[in-house]
Amino acid sequence: MAAGQFNSSASLSQNLEENLRVLREALGSSSDVIVRDMKISSDSNVDAAVIYIDGLVDRALLNHDILRPLMFNLQLIKDNLSHNHKSLIDYIKSSVLTVGQITVVQDIDRVIARVLTGHTAILAEGATRALLIDAKGWETRRIEEPKNELSIRGSKESFTETLRTNTALLRRKIRDPRLTFESLQIGEQSKTDVSIAYVKGITPENLIEEINQRLQRIDTDIILDVSYLEQFIEDSPSSLFPTVGSSERPDVVAARILEGRAAILVDGSPMALVVPFLFIEGFQNPDDYYARPFFAALVRWVRLLGYLLSIYLPGIFVSLKTFHPELFPTQLLVSVAAAREGLPLPVVLEALLMLLLFEILREAGLRMPRSLGQAVSIVGALVIGQAAVSAGLVGAPMVIVIATTAIASFLVIPFAEPGALYRFIMTLAGGLLGLFGIVLVSIEMLSHLASLRSLGVAYLSPVTPLNIRGLRDTFIRAPLWAMDSRPASLDSPNTRRQSSGQMPRPPKSSSQQGDTQ
Amino acid sequence: MKGKQGFVLILLIIIPVFISGCWDSIELNKLSIISGLGWDVDADTGQVTLTFQSIIPSETKGAAGSSGDGGQKRGNPLHTIQLDSSTGSSAYDALNRYSQHSSRRTFYQHTQLYILGRSAAEQGIYPFLDSIARNPINRPNVLMVVSEKKARDILSIQDGMESIQAMGMAAEIKLSAEYSQYPVVTYLEFAQRLLSETTAPLAPMVGIIEQAGPEGVRVKKTRINGTAVFKGDKMIGHLNEEESRGLLWAINKIKKGFVIIPGANLEIVTAKSKIIPELQDEKIKITIAIDEESNLLEYDGHREISSDLLQDLEKGQAREIERQVMAAVEKSQALNADVFGFGDTVHRKYKKEWPVLKARWEDIYPYIEVVVKVKTHVNEIGEINKALMRD
Amino acid sequence: MSLENGKISSFQLSVLIIGFIFGASVIIAPGQGAGHDAWMAIALGLTEGLLIAWIFTALARHFKGKTLVEINSLVYGKILGNFISVLFIWYLFHLGALVLNNYSRFLELELYPATPKTLTLILIMLVCASSVRRGIEVLARCSLILVTLTILMAIFDTLLVVPHMDLHNLLPILDIPIGKLLWTSHATAIFPFGDAVAFLMVLAFVNKPEKGRSAVFKGVLIAGLVLIGVAVRNAAVLGQMNAIYTYPTYITAQVIDVGDVLTRVEVLVAINLITMGFFKISVAYYGAVLGLAQVFNLRSYRPIILPIGILMVILALTNVSNTAEMFDFANNGYPIYTIPFQIAIPLITLLVAKLRKLPQIGGDQA
Repeated sequence: MAAGQFNSSASLSQNLEENLRVLREALGSSSDVIVRDMKISSDSNVDAAVIYIDGLVDRALLNHDILRPLMFNLQLIKDNLSHNHKSLIDYIKSSVLTVGQITVVQDIDRVIARVLTGHTAILAEGATRALLIDAKGWETRRIEEPKNELSIRGSKESFTETLRTNTALLRRKIRDPRLTFESLQIGEQSKTDVSIAYVKGITPENLIEEINQRLQRIDTDIILDVSYLEQFIEDSPSSLFPTVGSSERPDVVAARILEGRAAILVDGSPMALVVPFLFIEGFQNPDDYYARPFFAALVRWVRLLGYLLSIYLPGIFVSLKTFHPELFPTQLLVSVAAAREGLPLPVVLEALLMLLLFEILREAGLRMPRSLGQAVSIVGALVIGQAAVSAGLVGAPMVIVIATTAIASFLVIPFAEPGALYRFIMTLAGGLLGLFGIVLVSIEMLSHLASLRSLGVAYLSPVTPLNIRGLRDTFIRAPLWAMDSRPASLDSPNTRRQSSGQMPRPPKSSSQQGDTQ
Repeated sequence: MKGKQGFVLILLIIIPVFISGCWDSIELNKLSIISGLGWDVDADTGQVTLTFQSIIPSETKGAAGSSGDGGQKRGNPLHTIQLDSSTGSSAYDALNRYSQHSSRRTFYQHTQLYILGRSAAEQGIYPFLDSIARNPINRPNVLMVVSEKKARDILSIQDGMESIQAMGMAAEIKLSAEYSQYPVVTYLEFAQRLLSETTAPLAPMVGIIEQAGPEGVRVKKTRINGTAVFKGDKMIGHLNEEESRGLLWAINKIKKGFVIIPGANLEIVTAKSKIIPELQDEKIKITIAIDEESNLLEYDGHREISSDLLQDLEKGQAREIERQVMAAVEKSQALNADVFGFGDTVHRKYKKEWPVLKARWEDIYPYIEVVVKVKTHVNEIGEINKALMRD
Repeated sequence: MSLENGKISSFQLSVLIIGFIFGASVIIAPGQGAGHDAWMAIALGLTEGLLIAWIFTALARHFKGKTLVEINSLVYGKILGNFISVLFIWYLFHLGALVLNNYSRFLELELYPATPKTLTLILIMLVCASSVRRGIEVLARCSLILVTLTILMAIFDTLLVVPHMDLHNLLPILDIPIGKLLWTSHATAIFPFGDAVAFLMVLAFVNKPEKGRSAVFKGVLIAGLVLIGVAVRNAAVLGQMNAIYTYPTYITAQVIDVGDVLTRVEVLVAINLITMGFFKISVAYYGAVLGLAQVFNLRSYRPIILPIGILMVILALTNVSNTAEMFDFANNGYPIYTIPFQIAIPLITLLVAKLRKLPQIGGDQA
């Protein structure tokens, strides 16, 4: 047993002092552990104690709805005791305290554990059970705009670090009684609350079982963030591409749950995981659904092509310049060759250096304190780029290529990291082996993607294995009234989503007046 | 164990790649991009002289040079190309000698033209053709051109308007084909004709003229002035402007252009032609059927623009077209070179009889009866519909 | 004893077959011996190819869910069956090496004259090995995307080249002696269509085995039609040079020149070649590796993937000494050499199975 663990079969003793001694030993003498002694019977011979951790409890509630009823109802309690109607603890629970969530426990370690999560414990002399009251309240960030997944038309709420707030946000989107939150605690030291959110009957049973299995297998000390969980439960840890999706928006998560997926929420993390995650989801964006279908389809294509561009462009450019100048149209070649005169570095190195420079700028811009961030990125990009070209270190076409690539790389956020890596690999392959190298690496990448599964679902569906119905939401965004069924790849038991034939039409019976008036 | 094996394997592959360098990689600024290739053969010695026109990219930077700093390096349009030649006993010999002495690798994939010197063409260009076909760096779209005298002369002319002379000439040739004056012949087309064994390969001919340029300086320019006719791989004659026109009418290569008849000038809208062979008791008769539509551009006469006038114009056009075609036919029969591809059309229609005919094609060709049937139609008459001055 | 747990759908099977047939057809232009009648040779070859497909799918239907190696063991008994299987495996292995060879020579000629063939071969082989290792399901999934791309590029090429096409180049029809036409069409029947017999190692994994035959037919037919179209296009553009150029499809693409900007499209052809070549080699590779594993009762075919791959590379390097020999073998030797494998083995095995009145096996047996 690790230090700090206690015998889980220890129950509370009747002696309050004994209990308090055990508790003090376990919790230590930190200044935020508060033990409030009191007398709760009018003849002042029943000792009790309220134990909580300052900072984790809602003080107002504690004072008003726990301490006050306990202390003001001394006569009632005494009367109850003397008439022996119920045990003290039951009586307090049923008639004294004016709070919502109360649990009765017998084990000391549960008391300790719960107090540590923000519950308030009440122990009394002579009682072998304790009361645990959920009176949590601490400083938390309020619900703000999502930082990374901005939507123009949709809601601007995002998850916060408190699990309960997040589950509430989901509840507000899905008011079906079958919405279920299964809770677990993971992490030896962190005992982080984890919730699996799904809708019974829409999310397949075996998915939930599988998630449960994987979560319960985790044996680690701390779960700081939802991405820790991701790394423990994902299907292909060695793959560059994520097989677990995440989002900080409740509307996105709600929509995904209703497609037949499950979400995992972690206390302390403003992101939710969503599984299974398919490749195509990286190109989907909540705004697609709020905008008009044709435009959404266009935007999706722009994303796809832009993403491919961001991976391939430097590699292709390098390979053309190095191995296949015959593939440039003649005039273009002359311009490019002219720009290349007098440059010292081989094209591959030039490209790799520029890519590296871009990554440095990007990362620095992220970590830099806000006030400096703008200056650095602008200065870095413009000045360094311009100066490098003028000094004859780097060719102007190369700067254009890298700049375009850089911007395009932000089109698809979930795949930005694998994209960056593959970009490097492609550039290297292009520089070493020309187009042949690029094609080989592409085939390998495709083959790799084709072999990935996300909790049982093939990563590349619905493209391959081909599922025509599923294609409605991939390269195009079929109008909402046409999306009659849930994505087939997700294997939901209930695929009918809405009734068909809901295309809006003007009313049949139009008035005789027509356009006059 | 497995992982380690894989790792070693990957190392084994990556390391040689890095150590030995990239065999095929090229640095752009170490390339000499050849825009035009000229082939001359010395009649006496048989030595082959290859002329290379290569592009100097930095000189082509015009107004779109680097921005910002003061000292802009503007390209000089007259110095964008560089001419070199090299002599050897064969094409590849000359090529190799050139590569040996050049500071850059020669890069032929952007060659726009192959120019054949006249004497070389007359001697037979087969060695040149073969080396081009075999070597993958050559593309089928490259234009074939014959020079009136020496190929080198043509390649050295820099006319200032086009920064890269060979591209300019290629554009000029294509434009002349657009205006239906001279054919444009790519390497592929030349080779196809050569393969056919009866059809005569062609190539436009380019000569040099002098003109008064800016500031009174005499400037040399290139001008297309004929169509070279080959028999096999040897040039045996040429068609002049009118004959070339006639040829284009017959082989359905008329696009835009003009028909000039006494008193009027018409612009061709569309033209189609069909070559229809007939075989009767071993005598071949070819009918060239031409269908043309045109618009009236210029009218010198003072008659009313009536449908009678248009009919007369149409007849005049038909006569003129027929005249041009027959001129071409006569010249080709005189040269005994089947520039029209009559042989191929007979082959396609009379498959069985063809082998016999093919063997005797040399004898048959000059005596083929050719009939030209022209149908013309004038569509538009322009913006005015009456003459400005009346008779 | 399942060496392969994956299942593929009949649609995926068709697509795999199309990719497989396209395999080396970009390089060794089918029907080239027939000049501008190549399209006719392909059409005839397609018919014969469908016949071959009929035979081997009949065998597969009789023993649903079993690969050829397993079938041979059932029909001929372990020893003789394994012997015949090993012969067939050799055929697949050889096929893989042949395609590797074609492939590397093309690359060497058109794109990379100075790079040593060994390196390109090893790299191709490694990519194929990695996909083979992932199993037939992954190959099938990749196939859809790659084949679609290839067909799109072929259509694109064809559309762009329309101004250069002269359908008169296709006349006169039947310009070559009938004997030569028949020989060329037989050559086309066995390469590329007949090679589909390699799928006797793959048909076992189709999830609805009764659809296997129609899937194979669909694949062969579609591939054949596309190839005919390509042959027509090449002949129309290149005329008589079609028969002379070593790689006509590549040259046809070089002709494309739209407004001086959209040129050099031949790189797309090279990409097509690389991706489809990858397919053909991978499927043959897969069949050989799986077959060997079944013959020797191995638990998994993974350990032998790399050794077989290296051997294939070696064979590809030493197979022929120059390109002329390669074409000669492809056009003259291969048509005869493959008869035992493509026709004889499936046919005889089927007959023996019927004679022995072996029961039909429907569905999978563990």
